[in-house]
Amino acid sequence: MRPARFRAEDGVGLHLDESCGLMPVPPSDDRRRPWEEKNVLIAGVLAYLVPGLGHFYQGRMFKGLIYFVCILGAYFGGMRLGEGAVVYQAPIRRDLKKVSLTFLGQSGVGLPSLVALYQSRRSDTPENHDEFDLTEPISAPFTGRLLTTGPTRDDVSGELVGHIELKTSREGSLPETRGVFHGTKDGQPIELELSGGLKLDRPISGGFQRGLEMHVAHSPDQHPNEAMVIRGSIPRPFFDAFNAPPDPALVQDLHGRLGKYYDLAIAFTLIAGFLNVLAIWDAIEGPAYGFGDEQPPPPNPGPDRTDVPANAATVAAK
Amino acid sequence: MNWTVFAIADLTVTWYLMPLAAIISLVYSASRYELPERILKRAARLFATIVGAMAGVFAVLWFFSLGL
Repeated sequence: MRPARFRAEDGVGLHLDESCGLMPVPPSDDRRRPWEEKNVLIAGVLAYLVPGLGHFYQGRMFKGLIYFVCILGAYFGGMRLGEGAVVYQAPIRRDLKKVSLTFLGQSGVGLPSLVALYQSRRSDTPENHDEFDLTEPISAPFTGRLLTTGPTRDDVSGELVGHIELKTSREGSLPETRGVFHGTKDGQPIELELSGGLKLDRPISGGFQRGLEMHVAHSPDQHPNEAMVIRGSIPRPFFDAFNAPPDPALVQDLHGRLGKYYDLAIAFTLIAGFLNVLAIWDAIEGPAYGFGDEQPPPPNPGPDRTDVPANAATVAAK
Repeated sequence: MNWTVFAIADLTVTWYLMPLAAIISLVYSASRYELPERILKRAARLFATIVGAMAGVFAVLWFFSLGL
């Protein structure tokens, strides 16, 4: 139970501890003064926006550092564990009244999570869709697989790591995307000419990797019914991925690949949001068990105390 | 052999609870007290309590799952 506290400047000079003993409170000292001298409302708002910032504002550096490092550490640790697709507000729930309970808990972290509301609006636009040709050339690192496609199934030919360069030409009647992949296949150097069949995931979406698929150009010695495809991902810019709602396919993929680690990632971000409520409370009301400057209760106050004001005695009775 | 592999895989997730317990202990104690040394002392005690309780539950479950 949080103790009711009477400030020294109120003229009361009393402190009601959790043991329900009334104690005189000495004048403000160095521990209490930073909290008393600053506006608690501003401190509370700052503590919500960035964990620990309210305490820095109050000059309580040690506690501010604990909140800042621990809460943001848990939040961003969870984000990393869940590959960046953990904190988001689904566009279908754009209305604040339909905010998901998970996001509600995560939003306790403040600004780092509130970005999700903005990203939700950004992603829910007609321009944000899967791309089948490019408006600008792409040159980016690529990781993925080389697949041989058949009538019934796709066979993996090897793991690709390297660099991809793509460009869409609009000179003909239809746009045509071509490019090249330089890198390694299963550790061996390889260069692949790419032509057509581009499918690039939408630009604004959760996850720091953007899915890409493209056909490998037919070589003269290749069977006419055989086709090769590269399927993998290129990096997505941080601001397009951070707290943006992921595609359902990506969430499925993460559940499949990460399993319980994905749930753990959500737990980390949720706990970070809950812990910041304690930090906000501390910035506004001070530490729950006092500043450590309280004096022990008198041995036997007795029923006929005269130094206890009537209102304080009422609080004590409650 | 397979059982051991699965047990080790499960334990790896358990290690993630250590930093989580440390974070919760520190933030909770910081919200209760003001003095740095008292915060750290109480946080260490709370961390030990959490980890000890988790280890106790783990030991009980491990004992009852023997031979399954």
